[in-house]
Amino acid sequence: MILLIGGRASGKRDYITNLGYGEEDIADAVLDPRPVLYNLQELIRQDPTQAESLLPALLQKEVLACDEVGLGVIPLQKEDRLYREAVGRLCILLAKEATQVIRLVCGIPQIIKG
Amino acid sequence: MIFLLTGGAACGKSSYAEQLALQLGSPRYYIAAMQPYGEEGELRIRRHRAMRAGKGFQTIERYTDLQGLKLPEKDGVVLLECLCNLTANEMFSPETEGNDCVERILSGVEQLAGQCRALILITNEIGGDGGGYPDRSGEYIEALGCINQALAQRADQVWELVCGIPIVHKGQLL
Repeated sequence: MILLIGGRASGKRDYITNLGYGEEDIADAVLDPRPVLYNLQELIRQDPTQAESLLPALLQKEVLACDEVGLGVIPLQKEDRLYREAVGRLCILLAKEATQVIRLVCGIPQIIKG
Repeated sequence: MIFLLTGGAACGKSSYAEQLALQLGSPRYYIAAMQPYGEEGELRIRRHRAMRAGKGFQTIERYTDLQGLKLPEKDGVVLLECLCNLTANEMFSPETEGNDCVERILSGVEQLAGQCRALILITNEIGGDGGGYPDRSGEYIEALGCINQALAQRADQVWELVCGIPIVHKGQLL
């Protein structure tokens, strides 16, 4: 599994296309049989307390793309704080299992693992 | 040797810093700057304590005034967690409000560096969400940014944690 991370609109989607996947391969924040899951953070947002239970299904994917959401001020709302931490923690677990972790910065891929 | 570890929320800074401290030897001191506010704060502190359990840290709670801190022994390994809490405490506590928190924290870090052989500093990236915050929060972001920049100059190692993976911005991994 390849884990793509980076801020919103940092070039993850184009990177997926460059890997050779078409629109039909990319699921947007839903779990289904498609090999690529994009906007993972939005899937986690649906229930941050259950984020870790997504792990087995996520590990079956070929590519996961998740926004980095922890780079700002601590949110005022509790649910936003829980969401932010759940995304971060799940990404740590995913990165451990990933064959490659790639961080997009201004569309430039930086391979940080693999 | 000074290590500055940075990153966003829940990026694996604490656990990486603890492993680094273990690698660097003993005695090990953990300076806790987070005040246990409310249920969430207490939960977070409990989670961090559980992570540190059995790793041989002597915990020192220090919410402000790093400058006045005297460690029991010199030549140890110190893990300070974290500069974002320390900065908030210095800025918003009634006792220290109005003082120059940037200067106080930088001089506190110098004091600490003189009392140990390895100092691991944990900080946060908080300026990356483009939020239009009210004045005091804006000042806080600015203050922590200044502190981070000054400490990065001073530090031998500056590593950013992303998904638990260290990215080297200065120095090299041990």
